[in-house]
Amino acid sequence: MVPESCPVPTLPGVVGERMQQIVVNGIVAAAVYVVAGFGFGLIYRTATFFHIAQAAIIAVGAYGTYWLCVGIGFPLPVAVLLSVVFSAIVGACADQAIFRPLRRRGASPLVLLLASLGLYVVLTNLLSMAFGDSIKTIAWGRVEEGWRVFGARITTVQAMTIAIIALLAVLSAIAFRSTKIGITLRAVADDPELAGISGIEVDRVVLVASAVGSGLSGLAGILLALDLGMTPMMGLNVLLMGVVAFIIGGGLKDMTGLVAGGLFLGLSQHLAGWLIGPQWQYAMAFVVLIVLLLLRPKGMWLSQSHGSLA
Amino acid sequence: MMDCVLEIRGMSKAFDGVKALASFSCSVREKEILGLIGPNGAGKTTCFNVVSGLIPPDSGQVMFRGQDLVGLPPHQIARSGIARTFQILRLVRRLSVLENVLLAFQDQPGERLRNVFFRPTIGAKKEAENREMAVCLLDEVGLAENQSMLADELSYGQQKLLSLICCLSMGAELLLLDEPVAGIAPEMTEKIIGLIRGLPAKRKSVVLIEHNLDAVTRICDRVIFMDAGTNVCEGTAEEVRRDPRVIEAYLD
Amino acid sequence: MEYALHILMMVCIYVALGASLNLVAGYAGSPSLAHAAFYGLGAYVAGLMSLRLGSPFMLNLLCAVGFSAVLGAIVRALTMRIRGDHFIVVTLAFQVVVFSILYNWVSFTGGPMGLSAIPEPTVFGWLVSSHADFLLLGLVYCVLTLWVCRRIANSPFGRVLKAIREDEVLASAAGKDVAMHHVLIFMISAGIAAGAGVLFAHYMCFVDATSFTEMESIFIISIVIIGGGGSSWGPVVGALVLVGLPELFRFLGMPTSVAANVRQMLYGGLLIVFMLWRPQGLLGEYAFGGTRDSR
Repeated sequence: MVPESCPVPTLPGVVGERMQQIVVNGIVAAAVYVVAGFGFGLIYRTATFFHIAQAAIIAVGAYGTYWLCVGIGFPLPVAVLLSVVFSAIVGACADQAIFRPLRRRGASPLVLLLASLGLYVVLTNLLSMAFGDSIKTIAWGRVEEGWRVFGARITTVQAMTIAIIALLAVLSAIAFRSTKIGITLRAVADDPELAGISGIEVDRVVLVASAVGSGLSGLAGILLALDLGMTPMMGLNVLLMGVVAFIIGGGLKDMTGLVAGGLFLGLSQHLAGWLIGPQWQYAMAFVVLIVLLLLRPKGMWLSQSHGSLA
Repeated sequence: MMDCVLEIRGMSKAFDGVKALASFSCSVREKEILGLIGPNGAGKTTCFNVVSGLIPPDSGQVMFRGQDLVGLPPHQIARSGIARTFQILRLVRRLSVLENVLLAFQDQPGERLRNVFFRPTIGAKKEAENREMAVCLLDEVGLAENQSMLADELSYGQQKLLSLICCLSMGAELLLLDEPVAGIAPEMTEKIIGLIRGLPAKRKSVVLIEHNLDAVTRICDRVIFMDAGTNVCEGTAEEVRRDPRVIEAYLD
Repeated sequence: MEYALHILMMVCIYVALGASLNLVAGYAGSPSLAHAAFYGLGAYVAGLMSLRLGSPFMLNLLCAVGFSAVLGAIVRALTMRIRGDHFIVVTLAFQVVVFSILYNWVSFTGGPMGLSAIPEPTVFGWLVSSHADFLLLGLVYCVLTLWVCRRIANSPFGRVLKAIREDEVLASAAGKDVAMHHVLIFMISAGIAAGAGVLFAHYMCFVDATSFTEMESIFIISIVIIGGGGSSWGPVVGALVLVGLPELFRFLGMPTSVAANVRQMLYGGLLIVFMLWRPQGLLGEYAFGGTRDSR
């Protein structure tokens, strides 16, 4: 079962209101994409491969919260925090157990991706075995109509999602520029070989990046699950949209690109969904991706496409 | 005045602001072996990459038998009669020695899917002919007994020889050889030099990049000295070697 | 007994799927995660045509194969500038999009309800209805596919593919049109997958999009990888292992509710293990860029 991300709601309202609702929905979707894209991008730039298993970690975050909150009875904020930490741990363990040994053996990005695919399958099925495939939700507070903002409706969760993203953007901007680990991460992201030669322990940096990236992925899953519910397979669509946002945004040079990319994607998707029908939402994203890649095939590929022409 | 096989006019190429080629011009005559020498970074391999179509120049023309090659894809340039080897040796390592040679033959009917399924006999016949020719070529250079080995299993010198054979198998009239004897033992060097020297007799023209000045002097009819992307001086090997600018560059 | 026939039929279908994916993944060196999409498109074209138009089996097959091949060619041509692991992500995106359309376009494809009561096919006057009949049809298709793939692999065309796989720059310097080869082989691969989908649709009499998710694409590529990329018999071994082995679980009495999950975890786990231990698979020669030792 694949939940649609933020389908256009059928609340009563005038046509003008509808447009505003689309904008709001687009922004909320964008927020989730930005978190997912950031987590993914962090790992991509440091470990230089597509970590598809992040899609499973998105679901891990969601189900972790579900289990802690609904199953055990922790208050929601605690469950969220623990779940994010747990996601980070899962990501770090995967790095140590699978990807570091592969890197040691000089595995190509393709081999790393394929291993990541295998991990995605294993994790997703573990969740499916433990929790089943039907949509689960975390009920909290009363069912609400949501706040009215500029003529559109936005629920508390959705508003919080946007707030969290804004906070994250600011925090990461500071962290990358001022903290030691942030600067080190950027160094590795820009040029892993040079970083290694300069004495930076690339493995340790990748481990940190994996942990942080996975934590963020888990967070994206939680935000989405609180808004729409969760299934074990929920992560892939979100991850792919995060990847597209990452590409549109020019590859994590700074947050503004990613946010812009996420916004563009979220808005165009929901617009397309309203104009031509919800089944074309992902097709829209794919079209955007293809058009982008045709217009600027270098972009984030720059670090990868350099083969020697000697 | 001998015919020009290849004429490069005003070729320029910059990478991230660094000028690899600065309005470089030269011409290659029929049945001549032209040497390209110069320090590292002079633009020699970049020149080859532009001529063979791997990278587009910022400006300039590459006239091959009257046709401008700039903008054509590499496979088309190869098919029109220019073959090359690479500074960093390129072979299909997981194919056998024989298959590497077979790959280089042009106009193989078996390479078209239509023939693979609907006219298999035409493909099979040509393949058999090509096989015979390939074994012959390998035999001439003493690689025939290695024909079934994977290309990866040859020694470095043998691999260089093989890549030259593949280049020759393309039947091209202009050959661009990028450091064909670099890093190999004297015996193999002799073999390869002998092969290259026999090419003009087969109506082929050669442009040769080499750092080994002795080899250059022995093989080349004419030499161009390149530095910083320009054609600094040209003439016979002796003339160029004695040029004060060349001496200065090699002393630095 | 009928159950054994069913398993064999599925093996036939997966051999065809694996062998066709092997063409692009193992021979041309461009693995794709879009294979289940073409498989599904074939199934839906057959289902829709036989249900809405009542057209004969061979015509459905032709249309399904043709449609997938053309779509495959277009997708491959559009993505030509993208390489290696980036390309595989784009194919994954394509897979997700196709699924999304099949699953959500309720008016045309029946949405989550899928297409049911797909009629039994009549192939040149022979009504295919029993399990044994279908198995025969499946075997014919499977053998045909293997023959086509083997012919391609052993021809000079196949040699060019292998060269492209190892070194595209060298291949184009040798006069080979790399782009055209990629498009052609992707087309053929997509067409064969669609044909397998047609078989599946008529065999099950029912298709719904959940049979053609990205999990299915990963499953098919696991067959190729574990069997061995770039080997003619690899897909056969891979399909036997990945389709047949989980059946042992059933004999061991595992409850069906978890059997599906365990089956998937099996191939997921094997994928990880093989990347760590032997990327070229059991029989193969291509290790997907491999690790240092296998290069």
